[in-house]
Parts: sequence; structure tokens; C-alpha cells
Amino acid sequence: MHISLFQAILIGIVYYLGNIGTPWLSLLGSISVVYKPLVAGTLVGFILGDPVQGCIIGAAINLPYVAFISAGGTAPQDPGLAGTVGTAWALAAGVNPAAAVTIALPLGLLGTMIWVAHMTLDVTFVHMADKAADEGNLDKICFYHVVPPQILMFCLCVIPATIATYYGSTAVQGLIQQLTGKPLTVLSVIGGLLPALGIAMNLRAISRPGTLLFYMVGFIMVQYMGLPVIAVAVLGGVIGYFYTVLLNNNAAPAPADGAAAMIDDDDEEDF
Amino acid sequence: MAERKSLSKKDVVKAFWRWTFFSHANYNYERLEATGLVHSYKHVIKKLYGDNPEEYKACIKRHMQFFNTEPHIGGVIPGIVLAMEEERANGAPITDEAINGVKTGLMGPFAGIGDTLWQGTLTPILLAFGISLGSQGNLVGPLVYTLLMFGIMFPVAYICWMKGYELGKDGIEKILGGNQMQMLITGASAMGAIVLGALSSQFVTVKCAAVIKFGALKMNVQETVFDALFKGILPLAVTLLTLYLLKNRKMKATTVMLILIIIGLVGGVLGFLG
Repeated sequence: MHISLFQAILIGIVYYLGNIGTPWLSLLGSISVVYKPLVAGTLVGFILGDPVQGCIIGAAINLPYVAFISAGGTAPQDPGLAGTVGTAWALAAGVNPAAAVTIALPLGLLGTMIWVAHMTLDVTFVHMADKAADEGNLDKICFYHVVPPQILMFCLCVIPATIATYYGSTAVQGLIQQLTGKPLTVLSVIGGLLPALGIAMNLRAISRPGTLLFYMVGFIMVQYMGLPVIAVAVLGGVIGYFYTVLLNNNAAPAPADGAAAMIDDDDEEDF
Repeated sequence: MAERKSLSKKDVVKAFWRWTFFSHANYNYERLEATGLVHSYKHVIKKLYGDNPEEYKACIKRHMQFFNTEPHIGGVIPGIVLAMEEERANGAPITDEAINGVKTGLMGPFAGIGDTLWQGTLTPILLAFGISLGSQGNLVGPLVYTLLMFGIMFPVAYICWMKGYELGKDGIEKILGGNQMQMLITGASAMGAIVLGALSSQFVTVKCAAVIKFGALKMNVQETVFDALFKGILPLAVTLLTLYLLKNRKMKATTVMLILIIIGLVGGVLGFLG
């Protein structure tokens, strides 16, 4: 199957629409819908004239990303690029779904670089908005919040995805083959480390006595007890409830600062 | 006595939709959703503080601070704050600290809890359903997945936002006087921290790939040393190091990100991590 430049641009736009935070379909419509290879693959299939095959390939590419989560502004991988460009390549080459997954996974790793670039470059617009805040110019802040970052995001997404789709099936795949091995391993190592930043930013935001102790409880529940996160969340709710009630009962008769100091001690002994 | 400046339901709902669509339009590693919050409050700030240039500017600056939470279930926070701003504009003694306290106290726990319920639980369930149909070439798979995702999460987000606003309206005295708010923050923080522990052990993945050879004896460092010591000790160490750099060393998130990338790069190239 031949992919025209026009089709390649449309596929690039699908990738842009699915990238986390683009406003056109709401946040939910980006990260939870078009970002998912199941949906992206089907849309790419429509663009290339074979939605059913696009859907089958998208579903296959989506499987490794079922448990994908983006917490605190970090994305360990990029299902969006894997789902769009990956499906396009697979359709163009006419490969089976299993082979499509093999083509798509390296794309998911390369895509993290686009995400890191956008999260870093967007800081510039916050500083521009700061200046507008000094002037008390609310309209200008709203402008800096939407227009420049989205133009940047559009370029960061559409240009590489279009090029990769258009030249991809032959040229870029050769490049990917060269990357296979060490460079992709390094990307997946980095992808595994980055979620620590999101978790740590949330932990810093909580920053109360005993936070790290509770954190350890959750960590061990999964590592050693193998509980799914939803079970941990329910148990966490129960623990949080009793902790609050007990703390409140204790604080009533005894001086409140005494109770707080005790918790602080606990915290330091263990860490 | 000035006329009371009250927000209509339309104002509150409008802020909700602005948030729903634009919360992450300028997502970045320095302040994350800060400008998203200001953007969603635009018409509210104009209505409440339009006649008072000083308060107008102060309100903008108040919300230009770091803010990050899960935007649907965590939407309860901007909902509460909306009501607090309304009361403040009408002369209630609500300080900057009170508003910042609600935001910073609740955003972390709600980020952890919200992401667990939405991305960690609902999404995989709906995806499993959509993928099983989609893999047979049935276009109903992606279609139903999309409809269910919107059909569940939009109402959830709307209810959380509106409930937050009501809570802020009814509970202003409680929030300022009693310790309910403190109790909510304490309980939600405990739950949030536990959930973050679970999330990090699932999603932070660091493995030592080194193999030490003593003649014919090969020793896999990950299995024989790290796993034996404490399961998941490397992801735990990386997360705690990241927290230390952010919190105690007060490093910028972008710097910490760079450090993580360098660790991954060096570890990966030398074959120590894999």
C-alpha cells in the first residue's frame, strides 16, 4: 500500500490530537482516547482506506500498553506514536499484527523524546505568562497558555510523524534497525526511570509527617504481596480513615503538638 | 456596602469546561497545570475582582503557583477554590494561606488517588473490552471504548467539580474554623502516599543487568544481590533519590529529569542497567 503525503500529514495530525494535553478533544479525548493505539490505529486505517485492518493492528499494538499510566507529567513510553506511525507502517508493509507490534514498540520509545522536549520547552511560555501576570494582563496569560504551546506541540508532533510515515516504510525502518540493540535498550532504561520524577513530585506535594512510611506500605503491598493497585487503593482508604480518626482522638486529650512530634520521630528513625 | 458579587451556575460550569479542555494545554516541568488553572478561572477572576486592580492581580499571581493534580477526580480542588475566591471577593476573611493550603494539601493525594482510579483501573478494564473486540476486526471495539470512556469520566469529572464548589460554599466556616479540612487532608494524604507507593513499584522499572563472573561461576547481580536484599530496592532508591533532589536540594524538575536521563544513559551504555 502506498501512503501519499496528504495521508501522511493526516496521520501526523491524528498523532498530535492524541498527544497528552491537546485541547481539541479535551484532555480525556487526547490521553484516554486518541492516544490509545486501539483508537489511533482505527483512525489511521480510515485514512489509509482499511479501517478494519487498522483496528486489528491497533488493538495488537495497544496490548503492551494496556497498563500504561502517565503520572505527574512523566510518560515512560509513547503509545500515541506507536499507534499512529506503527499502524501506518504495518498497513503499508502488509504485515501481520504480531509483526506490527515489533515495528511499533521502538517507536513508542523514540516518542518519549518528543514528550520530554515539549515538557521542557513549554517552561518558556510560563515565564512569558509570569511577565503578563506582573502587568495583571489576564488575556495575555490565557494566550500564552494556549496558542504558542499548541503551535509548538503541533510542530513537534506533526513534522516527525509525517516524515516517519511518508518515508518510513522503507527508509526510517532501516534507521530503526540500526538503533535496535543498545540505543533502544538505553531508551527503555531511561523510560523506566522517568516515572520516578512524576511520583516524587506528587510525594513532595503531599509532604506530611509519615508520608514516606505510608509510601513504603504501598510499595511493599505490590512488591511482596502482589496486590493490584485498586486493592491497594481500597486498603489505603481504610488505613487513611483509621489513621485520621485515631490521630483525632489522640489529639483531643493530649496536646496536639506532642502527637505531631511523635510522628516526626517515627519518620526520622526509619529514614 | 457593595453589591454581592456571586457566581452563577453558568460561571461555575464554564470554568469546568475550560478546565476539561485546556487544563494541560501548556503542561510543563516547572509548574505543570498552573496556567491551566488561571486559564479556567479567566471569566471568574474578571467578574469577582474586575473592579479591584490590586486584588485582581493578587488573584492571578496566587494561581500562577505550581499546581498539579489528576484533572477529573482532582477537579474537586479547583471547585472548592472557586467557592473560596467567591467568598473572598465578597469580603470574607479568607487568606492566601487558606486558599494555598487547600490547593497544596489536596493536590498530591488526589493526583495519586485519581490516577489510580482513572488510568490505573478504569482504563485497563475498558481497554481489555475494546481490544478483545477490536482484535477481531470489529469496529465496535474502539467505538464502545471511546463512548464508555467519555460517558463515565465526563460525568465523574463534572460531579467532582460541582461537589467541590458546593463543599467550598457550605463548608467555608468548617474549613476555616473546625478541623474537618485538616482531617480530610490527613486521611487523603495517607491514602495518596500508599497509592503512590503502589504506582511507583509498578511503573518505575530499574534493573541491574550486570553479571559478575568468577571463573565458571556466573553471578546475576539483580537476582543474587538486589532481589535478595529487598525486592524492588532499585526503583525505590531511584524514587527516593528523586524526591531528595526535588525536596531537600530544591532542584528544578527539569534538572532532576536531566539527572535521571544521564543515569539511564550511563547505566545503559555501560550495561549496568538494562
